[in-house]
Amino acid sequence: MAESASYTEKLKRWDRFKAEKFSKKAPVTTPYPFIDIEKPPEYRGIPHINPEKCIGCGACVNACPPDALIMEWDKEHGVKRLTYNAARCIRCARCIEVCPTGAMEPTTRFEVATDNKEDLVEVVEHKLAYCEECGEYLDFTERQIEYVRNILPKDVFDAYALEDRIKLTQEEKMRRTVIKLRETEGNVYPAFMLVRETKDDGGEE
Amino acid sequence: METAVKLGFSLAGIIIMLFLPPYLDGIARRVKARLQYRRGPPLSQTWYDLRKLFGMPSVKPTKKALFTWAPYIALASAISAALLLPYGNVVPVDFGYNLVVFFYVVLMVSVFLMLAGLTVQNAFSHLGSAREMQVILTVEPLIAILYGVLAYNSGSLDLYTIMTGLHLTPSLVLTYILLAYALYVESGFVPFDIAEAEQEVIGGPLSEYSGRLLGVFYYAIYIKRFALLWFFISLLTLPWIGPIGTPEKAALVLALQFVLTVAFYPIIAALEATNARLRIDHVVKMNTRAFFAGLIILAMAFMGW
Amino acid sequence: MVNTKDLEAHFEFECKACENGRCAKADVNSILSERKGLRDFYEAFKEHIKGCKRMTYGQYQFVIDREVLPEAVLWWHNHPEFKETHLSTAVGTDERPLNGHFVYMPFLNVQVEFANEPENYWVFLRTYLLADDPSFPSVAEKLPAALWIEREVKDLLGFKPVNHPDPRRLILPEDWPEGVYPLRKDMDYRHSPITEPKVEFKEKPEDTTLVPMGPAHMGIEEPAHFRLFVKGEEIVDVDYRGFYSHRGIEKTGEGRLTYNQVLFLAERICGICGYQHSVSYAMAVERLADVDIPDRARYIRTLLLELERIHNHLLWVGIAAHMVGYDTGFMHAWRIREPVMWLVERLTGNRKQYGMNIVGGVRRDILDYRKEEILKVVKQIREGTKTFLDVALNTNTFIKRAEGVGILPYKVAKAYSVLGPTARASGRKIDVRKDQAVKTATAYNEIDFKVPVYKEGDVLARVLVRMDELFESLWMVEQLIDQMPGGDIMVPIGKLPEYEEALGFTEAHRGEVVHYVMTGEKNKVYRWKVRAPTYNNLPAVPEMLKGYHVADAPLIIASIDPCYSCTERVQFVDVNTGKVKVLTEAEFNELSIKYKGVF
Ligand code: SF4
Ligand code: SF4
Repeated sequence: MAESASYTEKLKRWDRFKAEKFSKKAPVTTPYPFIDIEKPPEYRGIPHINPEKCIGCGACVNACPPDALIMEWDKEHGVKRLTYNAARCIRCARCIEVCPTGAMEPTTRFEVATDNKEDLVEVVEHKLAYCEECGEYLDFTERQIEYVRNILPKDVFDAYALEDRIKLTQEEKMRRTVIKLRETEGNVYPAFMLVRETKDDGGEE
Repeated sequence: METAVKLGFSLAGIIIMLFLPPYLDGIARRVKARLQYRRGPPLSQTWYDLRKLFGMPSVKPTKKALFTWAPYIALASAISAALLLPYGNVVPVDFGYNLVVFFYVVLMVSVFLMLAGLTVQNAFSHLGSAREMQVILTVEPLIAILYGVLAYNSGSLDLYTIMTGLHLTPSLVLTYILLAYALYVESGFVPFDIAEAEQEVIGGPLSEYSGRLLGVFYYAIYIKRFALLWFFISLLTLPWIGPIGTPEKAALVLALQFVLTVAFYPIIAALEATNARLRIDHVVKMNTRAFFAGLIILAMAFMGW
Repeated sequence: MVNTKDLEAHFEFECKACENGRCAKADVNSILSERKGLRDFYEAFKEHIKGCKRMTYGQYQFVIDREVLPEAVLWWHNHPEFKETHLSTAVGTDERPLNGHFVYMPFLNVQVEFANEPENYWVFLRTYLLADDPSFPSVAEKLPAALWIEREVKDLLGFKPVNHPDPRRLILPEDWPEGVYPLRKDMDYRHSPITEPKVEFKEKPEDTTLVPMGPAHMGIEEPAHFRLFVKGEEIVDVDYRGFYSHRGIEKTGEGRLTYNQVLFLAERICGICGYQHSVSYAMAVERLADVDIPDRARYIRTLLLELERIHNHLLWVGIAAHMVGYDTGFMHAWRIREPVMWLVERLTGNRKQYGMNIVGGVRRDILDYRKEEILKVVKQIREGTKTFLDVALNTNTFIKRAEGVGILPYKVAKAYSVLGPTARASGRKIDVRKDQAVKTATAYNEIDFKVPVYKEGDVLARVLVRMDELFESLWMVEQLIDQMPGGDIMVPIGKLPEYEEALGFTEAHRGEVVHYVMTGEKNKVYRWKVRAPTYNNLPAVPEMLKGYHVADAPLIIASIDPCYSCTERVQFVDVNTGKVKVLTEAEFNELSIKYKGVF
């Protein structure tokens, strides 16, 4: 709370005329590229992905209107790659709004002109979790699973026996379901439900 | 001694005439910028622009020789116009009948600009040339009449003799006023830059020019503007300061001419900045009115007023 | 052309709206008595009306036979009582996946009485066209306002307006093959075929010279091609070819994005009036989902709309000055404008492309301390503009260029459905801010302002209208700050109803912007039609140019404040791979040699 108050204070005090050291009325133009321009704190610059916090959930990718954020799976090497391309970005800050962990950080940077296109791209790679059973890579990252573990209440875990199943591939889960089904012959319903639920939970967070 | 001084003044004149015009444009840019609350470019910006243009090859859209030669002829005309004027008490090139020659070479700059525009297949160049022609056709008779008044008033056709031999009459004062207008129009400052209007005819006759040739044209135009202004300043100063006997006095006069020229340019720039461009029919109308006013002045001069 | 009888033979239209209980087909009478004029129309075209419903508040739809389309449109447009009623635009939709037909739907803004908010309404005239013969009788024959509209549906959907006076291409580029229609649903948005170009320019009249203003010209900021046929310096006739900045936005919006993503695309239709588009789109979606957004959100939207108008009018007056070589006016107008940009940057996070909207409200709140800032800027702008006008309107040369030039008579303005300040400078008393202010996404019905109208119709009148509006806007901003209610700033919308349609509109500084949205399944947009005001104003420009000087052309064109990229909305770039074909130098040279004679 204290921190947010000081931010508001900062906002109130920010004054472009001071920031750009306007003392006289004229001239109003500045020798811009040769001086630094300070943007107000409210300015929506290009976002920046904090690789420490990002869990690779892809919520930002879904929200991004111009496809400036792209998610790729490289199952051979077991990585999930989140790519941000400032050249496509329209600075709408939707990704910042939807990011569950605050990994998408707003900045006030706006000068992205460069002679090297690679400067515009940010890549965050995540290790995919792998199935303990068969060693195949899952669709989710390790961090995602970690995150799910942390936010889901204990009883949900217990209710759906997630602890056992969360790190399994789709095929493995199905296989297990089938086994379970065989075990609980005649009582199809609960096992079926289990599969659906786990899938949904993992996919969203 | 006599010739050495003369040479020195001529040299000073040549240096002024070659180097000052782009700086004058730089001054104008600065003044305009200040009026518009801008910072404006450095004073030598026009020189930088010219240097850049001189260093670049030109794209030639036509094989006609005139397209290539016109800028150089225009530049030569402009330079000779400037050389016909007095610097101090020295006129670098003196043929006698200088007034007629001056009138002619200044006109040549516009004429070659116009002809250059007609060498290419471009509607905008043609429009620009047609406008340039209309301006010339309406303003040159006016200038001729005013020169006539000057010649009649001083009884000579030689520029230097005119400038030392004028005597104050009401008609002369009116001539000065009208001459200021006519020379302003001939220089092609806003609101009379109709032929080269960027937004309307994308530079008119200049629209097909690029690189070195464009630079030469610009340079010619700057020198022409300088020559016309220097001419007017000389008319304003020389007749009233008495005979120039010593080189010191001549140097003082030169300095005065120089200072006045530099001081007049901001006024022109301010006029440019506070006006919108006129349309060709407005200008033609204004010039025609001025022409009849000129005729009346001529009549007054003949009657000795 | 097939007639309705044939159509009816394979006509099995199911009105899905009934299921949601919003269709009033069952009770036509109560619908018809809601507004003046509806019943008269019904009586006049009884045999040809197949159905009618209220799409949403103040938006009525009639399903009519296509044979009577011209009569029906003209019935409204030339209504003797509702003087300022105009043909807003028309939507063509490929509804073959839904019901096997194409739909062509002109709609009109019916002004029962100026500023009578609960009385005015929109009328949509929906006609079904056969899938194998999408022809309809042309309205453009009798009403120039429909000229472009019909050429557009012809280009993009392959409809055939029978007897259209000028059936050349409008939108598609010259090298687009015949018979490929981008807005049909069976066409993928990444497909971009190319064939030999075919140029269809208007014939040059005898004894005239051609002055090509464009495709790239100093006096026009964006690509547009005016071919002026001149005698000496006088303009005799004009041909216009535009749509060089067609970006396929509508198609992208329909194909790929969810309704909230389209919103950001909508804002990027225009670099100047983006927020107007954003609000219009948001309003359309909110109307069809039938949610009322919180008051505070409405006020914030209105505030930003007005701030946008202020800086746009200043921008425009600067450009107008620049066009006649009056650069000091230009610089000062833009200097005065700059604080608004800074202010908006602080309110929303950006100078332009505010990104403030979300369907259902706004994203950032206006904190209290900022009110002072706003009032400070408003004061500054008011003083600045007053001084500016003092100087500019006393500059003889400027007035000389603007007065009596580019006159657009009232009759022509009405026939072309000219909008916004251009129309108001010609005596049309229209303004959707006042006309249709109830249940919109804005708060214009709760504040007080005047709508300036001039009768002269020349460029000067357009300058004056805009400047008067600017002062009104300043006054509106002050009121909005004063009356700003508290509360939430957004309501979540969630799922959208399927296959519903609605219209969103705002009065941009150039005239009325309309966004028509028809939802599809899964929160996607089935049809999204954007009509920027320049779309209606630009066809009238040739009329304004005739008889004036070439020198006046840039000013006259600029005087309607044209915005080509909004009008043309719609090059296809592969959004997934970002592939654009780039010519090598050799290819380019080859092309230029090949088409030497053409361009
Ligand atoms: S700011 Fe907007 S465009 Fe840029 S990455 Fe985020 S969501 Fe995408
Ligand atoms: S939403 Fe946030 S956590 Fe999820 S992938 Fe994007 S940046 Fe990472």
